[in-house]
Amino acid sequence: MKKRGTGLGCTWYGTGYGNGFPDVSSAFVEIHDDGTAAVLTGAVDVGQGSSTVFAQIAAEELGLRPEDILVCSGDTDVTPDSGTTAATRQTYNTGNAVLKAVRQAKLRLQEFGARKFSCPSPEGIELKDGMIGVRGDPSRSMPLSELAWEARLLHGERFISASSFTAQTTAVNLENGQGAPYWPYAFGCQAAEVEVDTDTGTVRVLKIAAAHDLGRAVNLTQVEGQIAGGVAQGVGYALLEEVELAEGRIKNPAFARYLIPTALDVPEIESMIVEEPEDTGPYGAKGLGEPAMLPTIAAIINAIDAAVGVRITSLPATPEKILAALAEKQRGGSGG
Amino acid sequence: MVELELTVNGKACMLKIEPGERLIDVLRQRLGLTGTKEGCGEGECGACTVIMDGRTINSCVVLAIQAHGRDITTIEGVGNRIRPHPVQRAFVEEGAVQCGYCTPGMVLAAKALLDKNPDPSPQEIGAAMSGNLCRCTGYDKILRAVQRAAREVTGT
Repeated sequence: MKKRGTGLGCTWYGTGYGNGFPDVSSAFVEIHDDGTAAVLTGAVDVGQGSSTVFAQIAAEELGLRPEDILVCSGDTDVTPDSGTTAATRQTYNTGNAVLKAVRQAKLRLQEFGARKFSCPSPEGIELKDGMIGVRGDPSRSMPLSELAWEARLLHGERFISASSFTAQTTAVNLENGQGAPYWPYAFGCQAAEVEVDTDTGTVRVLKIAAAHDLGRAVNLTQVEGQIAGGVAQGVGYALLEEVELAEGRIKNPAFARYLIPTALDVPEIESMIVEEPEDTGPYGAKGLGEPAMLPTIAAIINAIDAAVGVRITSLPATPEKILAALAEKQRGGSGG
Repeated sequence: MVELELTVNGKACMLKIEPGERLIDVLRQRLGLTGTKEGCGEGECGACTVIMDGRTINSCVVLAIQAHGRDITTIEGVGNRIRPHPVQRAFVEEGAVQCGYCTPGMVLAAKALLDKNPDPSPQEIGAAMSGNLCRCTGYDKILRAVQRAAREVTGT
């Protein structure tokens, strides 16, 4: 018989290296004569889209289009170190470093613009749609490319900057448990609907609804991609994936014996984005990568319990474990 | 050495190979078509997918000599930046690419499906794409991209 159930899983997750480990990101920025800019950073984009996020941040500050920004990343010969693409930290940590560096170069640009346009303060200089000029006075503006070109060739002025950002973290005192190991924290909640076949013990995940607080979505497509990727990995963690060890060796180091989800195993996914701005993040953004997979597992295990009344207490919840638990339950045991 | 004749992306190729060479090695190393990726090397992940006479195959578990006289399409023969195939355009528009390693195989699997069945059901798309593993995307946007490409191909 096929039975359905729903379950809920919640997570909170400290992002960054944590526990006092130095967590530093750096970026170089140069605004070019042709009105484009380059961002150099050690942060490696492994597909999650950090380079796009950095281009968006620089473009937002400079009044340019993201395609006007060249992001050069992850080349140890030329880019400043920004730590690993891990710990859900690149949008927050390196995003902050890029934002600080861009603002530094932008301020020099604004100072030059203030002199050029006889504006009393650099804050009165606005960068918008590829133009630079006095805020609220379109008659006193010019293309950014012209101003940068003039600054370099007539005045020897360059708009180059370097900056770093260090995440807030202190080690936990092991005596009293005090300390502030992580900042910021990410929060998420997912609901799963599953169908359990009581004859075979197989579980089909029908739908996952995933709500995640990520501060601010810098790029919505990438946010959805991170959530879907996390959910799929969570489905694998809950139902399929197990590293089998024998005397320190992995017995199943192949996709034929270590199963990961295929296109047929992933459920319908409904993403809900909660934007509760994080004051210390770039435009309020914080990380999403790892938190996206954590609640999936608990939600699925709880949904199995709701469907057939057995508590699975070791992962993955294989058909064998579910059938054994159902048989145990029938015999009047406690299940699981 | 043995002689191998095959058509790759519409071009006739004639080359001398070792009898035991795999198709993926001939494509990548002898013909320089490095768009085809090797993942698991044992026919499980689909990263090395190419189309042979209209059917997708895992080029890591096919001997090159088995392609003698056959017609092979690799990702290089599907489209390019200036003229992308509808499947490639849909992948970009839906955001269906993350790390990109599975993408050439995914695009070829989708193309082979749509060539035979331009109006597939969601179940048929899932089944056709299930031989290609992806660890980043969760497949969601990939499946949407194939649906989008199907709509474009059929003009609906």
